[in-house]
Amino acid sequence: MRKETVLLIARHFWVNTFKTKAIYPLMTVIFGLLCFSAYTGWTNYEKQTEIRSHYQHEARESWESNPDKHPHRMAHFGTFAFRQKYPLSMFDSGIESFTGNAVFLEAHKQNSVNFSEASLSTGLLRFGELSMAMILQTVFPLIIFFLGFSAVSADRENGTLKIILTQGARWKEILMGKTLGLMALTLLCLVPVGLLMLFFLIAEGGDAGLWPRFFVLGLVYGMFFMLLSMVTIAVSTSSAKSKNALIKLLAIWLLLVVLLPRSSQALGSYFFPSPSKVEFQSVIEEEIIQKGDSHNPNDPYFKQLKDSVLKVHQVSSVEELPFNYGGFVMGQGEKNSSVIYENHLNELMQIYKKQNSISELTAVINPYIAVKNLSMALSGTDFAAYVDFQDQAEKYRYELAQKMNELQMEYISPAKVSGSNGKTHVVGKENWSEMPDFHHRFFSFGRAVKNELLSLISLVLWCLAAVWYISYLSKKAKSV
Amino acid sequence: MYRLMFKQFFRSNVVILCLLLVSVLGMTGILIGKQFLDRQERAAEQVTLYQQEHIERNVNFHQEEFGLLMYYLKFALINKPEKMAGLSIGQSDVNPAIQHVTIRNLEGQKYDTDLVNPSSLQSGNLDLGFVIIYLLPLLIIVFTFNLLSEEREVGTWQLVSIQSRSKLKYLLAKLSVRVLVILALFVLLLTAAKLVLGIPLDAAFFAFFLLGFCYIIFWFTVCFLVVVFQKNSSLNALTMLSLWLVLAILLPASINSYVSNRYPVPEALATMIEQRDGYHKKWDSDKRETMADFYAHYPQFEDYGMPEEEEEEEEFTWLWYYAMQQMGDDEAREESDAMRAKLEQRGKVSRSIAWAIPTMHVQLAFNNLAGTGSTNHMEFLDKTNEFHEKMRLHFYPRIFDNASVLEENWEKFEPEFMEKENAVEWFRLLLPVIICSGLLLFLTFLKLTLSKQKGQW
Repeated sequence: MRKETVLLIARHFWVNTFKTKAIYPLMTVIFGLLCFSAYTGWTNYEKQTEIRSHYQHEARESWESNPDKHPHRMAHFGTFAFRQKYPLSMFDSGIESFTGNAVFLEAHKQNSVNFSEASLSTGLLRFGELSMAMILQTVFPLIIFFLGFSAVSADRENGTLKIILTQGARWKEILMGKTLGLMALTLLCLVPVGLLMLFFLIAEGGDAGLWPRFFVLGLVYGMFFMLLSMVTIAVSTSSAKSKNALIKLLAIWLLLVVLLPRSSQALGSYFFPSPSKVEFQSVIEEEIIQKGDSHNPNDPYFKQLKDSVLKVHQVSSVEELPFNYGGFVMGQGEKNSSVIYENHLNELMQIYKKQNSISELTAVINPYIAVKNLSMALSGTDFAAYVDFQDQAEKYRYELAQKMNELQMEYISPAKVSGSNGKTHVVGKENWSEMPDFHHRFFSFGRAVKNELLSLISLVLWCLAAVWYISYLSKKAKSV
Repeated sequence: MYRLMFKQFFRSNVVILCLLLVSVLGMTGILIGKQFLDRQERAAEQVTLYQQEHIERNVNFHQEEFGLLMYYLKFALINKPEKMAGLSIGQSDVNPAIQHVTIRNLEGQKYDTDLVNPSSLQSGNLDLGFVIIYLLPLLIIVFTFNLLSEEREVGTWQLVSIQSRSKLKYLLAKLSVRVLVILALFVLLLTAAKLVLGIPLDAAFFAFFLLGFCYIIFWFTVCFLVVVFQKNSSLNALTMLSLWLVLAILLPASINSYVSNRYPVPEALATMIEQRDGYHKKWDSDKRETMADFYAHYPQFEDYGMPEEEEEEEEFTWLWYYAMQQMGDDEAREESDAMRAKLEQRGKVSRSIAWAIPTMHVQLAFNNLAGTGSTNHMEFLDKTNEFHEKMRLHFYPRIFDNASVLEENWEKFEPEFMEKENAVEWFRLLLPVIICSGLLLFLTFLKLTLSKQKGQW
């Protein structure tokens, strides 16, 4: 294979494309869309980050401004965790609009994460969300198909193919050249997106994982466009007529981008039904009661606990203990209920994962899904990132509640067994600011990639398969 | 000739395959709707059972203190979905259909979300509404993109021009075959949905049918306009598919992103903090002030009086406790109202833009007819307020008097269902789609006359 011939054909394809009139309005529309989505992505990120930091700050101030009081009052006063947006979320919003953004953290109770964008939306959100990633994933394939569907077949139809071949070009060189030309065209669009993102990200800054994530994202989309270019050229080569090539490509797009993703997720939800909220909560409540109901004055578990504590400290009543017994009981209760809650939550998350698994498995046969999943994961907006936020918030909640219980055990008079009002049995307010604030942290680049290894492997394999198919075609292709 | 046209149409394997595919997806959509309804029904049953058991257990534990009992007791209000919700699930997978609240501070409870898989929410429901709004247009495109161009490409158009009296009539006859097939599929799917979901034959269902009908006609007018430009098959397919992409995905998505960017809702987070501070900070502030605020809201309870002595300041009473809880709601009221206004504004802007874009209009209208839209949820939130207030006013005197727990008739506290009034506004419903179709027909007519003048027809 000669490099010059390949480049010549690529350049020729490129020049020819720019001779058609349709390309200019098309490019204008695409650039317009990309700019609009970049703008909305950026402003949305800015606004939401500002709003959430503002309220996180306000909530913290409110927490610290509390006077001396009983620690259990503070445990109920609680605080809030606001989900932060990862800078790359302006590129791919993933499932962010469908996950809650704020959760109230208090003792005894795991609250739901509320106020997702979807819950505040009118229902238009269900048409899909505009983001740079969405345009690259759904609109770009169509554009590539449109630019390349006749790349080989038109040459065959008007007889130029025969001429090129008789002039000494080889099939492999022609196919490679056309693919290269088409890919160069897609890069023409990808590079500005990359630069735009680069500009935003430099302005915004981020954690250590940001640049590897950005780099791999670029790679993933590069591979995706390469794959699409090869598929287009392959279909164009193997179709008798340009018309057939286009219809075939459009059918592929419909199937892989529109039909398959939604059906596979719907099937997942159909086959693995998840429990309703009442069901979920009542099972947890029941289990906690079985373990020991701290609200039941005659509960055997807590009675036994009391007896054993009294025995160990060799006293006859809780008032004589060296620590506040109320704090101790609540600490135990918190521990029990958290473990039970966590078990059930994990179970629920397993069901969700099963629901998602069908769609994730289709990444093997559908490179669009592979790219979509990888893109979300790298942008920090996928399901795993959300579950991670939920876990962090719950962990913080538990620590907060237990810290307050410890303060109660240590500083509240053992004589004050129940009740938390009034200004006598209190702890100094300096303790409030000692409890560190909640900080949402994003998980590492490595973990994000590991979560989507299947998609990554499938994308690489698809590319290899396409390269193989192109070279296979170059031996079989016909010029007439 | 008509019979021949049908025969010719059904000879294509692609046609049969596509019809089958859409029918299967339509049936899947109906089954998914059925599953959704069953799930909601089961949840309603569960909450009924749960509430009974929950009240019984707590009444058993806390017989001495009415105030403490009411701290725990939860009461449910259910937004029972209409059968039609199975056709267009809309926002009802995001928004909970059951409010399960204590008589404490409501603002901290009523926005609690349901348990849902966010990934499933993102990919959206494959309900019959989706099949009608997204997939039927695609089917229409497949059926019409080569309506004329194929005849030109295989050379039969010349024959038609010579043999038939009017080329346009011939083309329209061919088109009507496709219209009839799609409409038959639509009617078939709706009938199946009616039977499977048990939808009553009421105005809303009829409106759903008519709107779907108009929407199908709209897409045929779009495609026919493209056809009369007499381009080749591949260009037609591409144009139609691009139009579909713009109308069904890009425009709605852009508008949504405009609306949510233009009207962010920080009030939601403000409400959340405000309701907490409003209540919790009262533990440390002047008790008399809290009571004064409470009596200002509910003068009817003024007789319960103020704490008088010093020692009473330290003492815990349930009257004071619920007054503090009330302050959480009262102080968050402003932000909460602002949030509601913002959401209403979002809805209003979306609806008015949707007037010009049939895909969006039909989606919002389907949700509205099925009672699964955002307006329905706002109504539910309002009804939750009323329900909560009713419960509060019922129990406040009992708590303040520390009435006997056992004398209360607890059995009557069963979950309540939201009453909905649903009137179909026919003009608002159908007019946008009819106007758009009319406009396209006019353009088609214009194009045809122009072509005739130039001798290209």
